[in-house]
Amino acid sequence: MKLTAAMLCGCLFMVIAGSTLAAPTMDVIDGWVREAPPTSRVLAAYMRIINLTEGDLTVTGITSPDFEAADLHRTVVEDGVARMLPVPELTIPAGGSITLEPGGLHLMLFDPVRPLQQGDSVTLVLHRSDDICITLSVPVLRGTGAEHVHHQH
Amino acid sequence: MQNTTRQASRKRFLIGGIIAVFAMLAGTWSALQLRDRAGHVDELAATRFPVARDISAFELVDHHGKAFTNASLQGSWSFLFFGYTHCPDVCPTTLSVLNSVAQQLGNDASNVRFVFITVDPERDTPEHLARFVSYFNSDFIGVTGNPEAIEVLTKQLGVLAMRVASGDNPGSYLMDHTAGVFLVDPDGKYHAVFMPPLTAEMIVANFGKIREDYR
Repeated sequence: MKLTAAMLCGCLFMVIAGSTLAAPTMDVIDGWVREAPPTSRVLAAYMRIINLTEGDLTVTGITSPDFEAADLHRTVVEDGVARMLPVPELTIPAGGSITLEPGGLHLMLFDPVRPLQQGDSVTLVLHRSDDICITLSVPVLRGTGAEHVHHQH
Repeated sequence: MQNTTRQASRKRFLIGGIIAVFAMLAGTWSALQLRDRAGHVDELAATRFPVARDISAFELVDHHGKAFTNASLQGSWSFLFFGYTHCPDVCPTTLSVLNSVAQQLGNDASNVRFVFITVDPERDTPEHLARFVSYFNSDFIGVTGNPEAIEVLTKQLGVLAMRVASGDNPGSYLMDHTAGVFLVDPDGKYHAVFMPPLTAEMIVANFGKIREDYR
């Protein structure tokens, strides 16, 4: 699985904050990967995805050159029991946004290809059903997330 | 004659009035008492048991390889959390919250232990747990054991854990598990439970009240 995101992604690339395409269709803010204990093979990423268009946008997959695999998951707590459910795709409503946050929706990142710690950044690629790829760079941060929200606008 | 009747009725009225005032005062007093009691309960986000529950004997092992049993829960308050180290979201979030609780308790935290008990002993060896829990706080205790031994404790606390397949690799399974934080008092008895969503502020505030009432 040493494919790069570019090889996996047979779609148009859009780099957040550096787009050469005319009008941005999506914004991603407050993105971060939680620093994990050194032995951890699974990390989680959180962010807020904003749909800037007047139609629904659907994220159908996640890849990252920094991890062997990535998935979209949702933690649900029912009767005190936490379960993680795979989320096959995520639709961001027209003009709306969806927040990935601890204890809820998150990207699950498997097997980092290098040790990651606070201060590092990782590349994540969101694949959309309209064949657009959104590439973003997010920081690795420590903590619960409560302290990070609204600090990275 | 008329005068006497009027006086008697005035007297009765007076006595009735006094009784009414007393009744009102008593009513107000008991209402205040009730509100105080109800308010006290309402203010707790934790579920506290009217009578703390005994925890029957269990035998586990901590991340130093030392025995972790009922005796290990004696003498100070213990926060117990059940999870697994391959857990990417809920467990790191909860351990970060518990680390914030420890920070907020400051010096008080030296009399409190935080215990992470794995529900995935197959992958979570003492060595693995050592690196995991000490990442969040060097004073945190990681606990594992054989599945049956862990079940002795989880059953008593009503903790559920189920293995769920994830992807093609059989080694990459996930665990569904109870995400509550269990509070054991210095007598080693199950005293209260905090259910998610958890915040450090909520736990610290509730714990302060619970500890005050325990004294």
